[in-house]
Amino acid sequence: MSEQVSSNGWLAQDEPRELHSELLEINMGPQHPATHGVLRLVIHTDGEIVHKVTPYIGYLHRCAEKIAEGCDYRQWMVYTDRFDYLAPMNMNFGYAVAVERLLGAEVPERAEHIRVICAELQRIASHLIALGTFGLDMGAWTPLLYCFREREEILNIFERLSGGRMLYNYFDIGGLRFDTYDGFAEDVLDIVNIMEQKIGEYNTLLSYNKIFVERTADVGIIDDADCHAYGCTGPVLRGAGLPFDCRKDDPYSIYDRFEFDIPYGEGEKGTIGDCWDRYMVRVREMYESCRIIRQALDAMPDGPIMSEDIKKLVKPPAGSLYTRTESSKGEIGFHLFSDGGSKPFRNKVRSPSFSNLHVLEKVGPGLMVSDLVATVGSLDIVLGEIDR
Amino acid sequence: MEANAIHDLLKQRFADGVLDFVDGLEQGARVDAARVAEIAQVLRDEDDLDFDSLMCLTGIDWDGYDESGKGKSVAILGYDASGKPETGDRVGEGELGVAYALYSHRHGHKFCLFVRVPRNAPEVPSVSGVWPTAAWHEREAFDLAGVSFTGHPDLRRILLEDGWVGHPLRKDYQMPDLWNEVPLAGRSYADAKWGEDDVVLPGTGDTKPGGDA
Repeated sequence: MSEQVSSNGWLAQDEPRELHSELLEINMGPQHPATHGVLRLVIHTDGEIVHKVTPYIGYLHRCAEKIAEGCDYRQWMVYTDRFDYLAPMNMNFGYAVAVERLLGAEVPERAEHIRVICAELQRIASHLIALGTFGLDMGAWTPLLYCFREREEILNIFERLSGGRMLYNYFDIGGLRFDTYDGFAEDVLDIVNIMEQKIGEYNTLLSYNKIFVERTADVGIIDDADCHAYGCTGPVLRGAGLPFDCRKDDPYSIYDRFEFDIPYGEGEKGTIGDCWDRYMVRVREMYESCRIIRQALDAMPDGPIMSEDIKKLVKPPAGSLYTRTESSKGEIGFHLFSDGGSKPFRNKVRSPSFSNLHVLEKVGPGLMVSDLVATVGSLDIVLGEIDR
Repeated sequence: MEANAIHDLLKQRFADGVLDFVDGLEQGARVDAARVAEIAQVLRDEDDLDFDSLMCLTGIDWDGYDESGKGKSVAILGYDASGKPETGDRVGEGELGVAYALYSHRHGHKFCLFVRVPRNAPEVPSVSGVWPTAAWHEREAFDLAGVSFTGHPDLRRILLEDGWVGHPLRKDYQMPDLWNEVPLAGRSYADAKWGEDDVVLPGTGDTKPGGDA
């Protein structure tokens, strides 16, 4: 474009040409509802078409990895809550499993079952937010309210379990901090029953809504090659048609005992790996989570909730281990380097949204600005976990 | 494929480029930092290996690490009144390192690569040409641990501000007192005292914001 402009700024007169527009650099964020947090996207647009998109992150950076080097393993659990503040149970779970594997510790059966129930309830709660806010990005205001209504019920259970409504700090190395309250199983069963009905309602309200499908099908396609190259995990990877889930393919805790399927994108409404596929994977995962919760409730034994072999101050043997678990956003990994002491020498957090956001640099160019909003919404990022 | 078989295969291919086998909970190989990009290429492209996924890339400062396994590593986190790290003279030695955790979706096997580089020239070839996801992970390792990746398409800070001084995950890092005229050293609220009207913050004589606004 610029080479066709002469030095005095006028278009050269010698040949007819198409209408060109200058690239316009615009900021989306850091404070913008469509960025789902304090994310800044610098977008170069050619009219309505995105030419280049550069994410700028770090607005919530607290260097939790440096803090980890100053706390013992147990103390650091509270920081994991603050990563993905929409799914703290999943973050707690990931860190607890990572340290327990490094220690070679066993967790009591009852604790494992409660952990799985909490993690799956949290997955539902987190997907509800993903659904609601994605609808909001697409101009559908109502589903958000319904999603929050159901999430509220789940938060009530967590509040009675742990005392917190948002940040629970409920898991501990070797078990759980508290046992369940009386009537926990009934409450969970209630919400599972409600959810299984309501998912059908979301489908009529949003998933198969013609306007919503038009806005999301064939938009922001991320294929399997991009997913592997950019390290995308979770619903983004499964939306691209790959049924990979750490709960099945790299099992941890007691997930290998339960029967559940892994939903994946099939290009039902458009192309495999479009925004609608990623969205629908989340909806179907809520069904699967309900299935897991039912089985875990049935099998939940009585007994202790805290392993007795684990001391207050844990000291894993020297060595390193990368452990990954499946959070609602994807693969949350902790690469722990122990020197045999009570504090980790290095604790690296590999967060799913970090890699899921990175792929935006690849898929963003060529999209309409409004489709970029749809793509960011369908990635379901949480900035607390990207910035750590 | 078993991890030691992968190590043997790499050893055949790269001879001196591949050092010893790392055994333990996590299995892998120590490799020569200068050749890590070539090794990565083989790990991804070889049919039997097929490591299509770089799960995690970690930058580490090994300064003060206790090799005996007794947990006596020197963690430099506190500073005395003069701003000197409390652990004294061992600051700023030791090597920097990078760890790559790999996974193959097709074969379901895992492998880890470990490299170490000298602190004064921490240069590691970038693997972002092999796994594009490494581009951001390497920017993070550069930002926080100060490992420099040669051949990286866009090596900038990612989490901290562009002009930030130092790399926080270095064991000899000292936090600046001021950043853009904002004091960074936090006040200890445990030392706050009750004044006549409101809480008096330590060292200032100010009351809490909102007290007399």
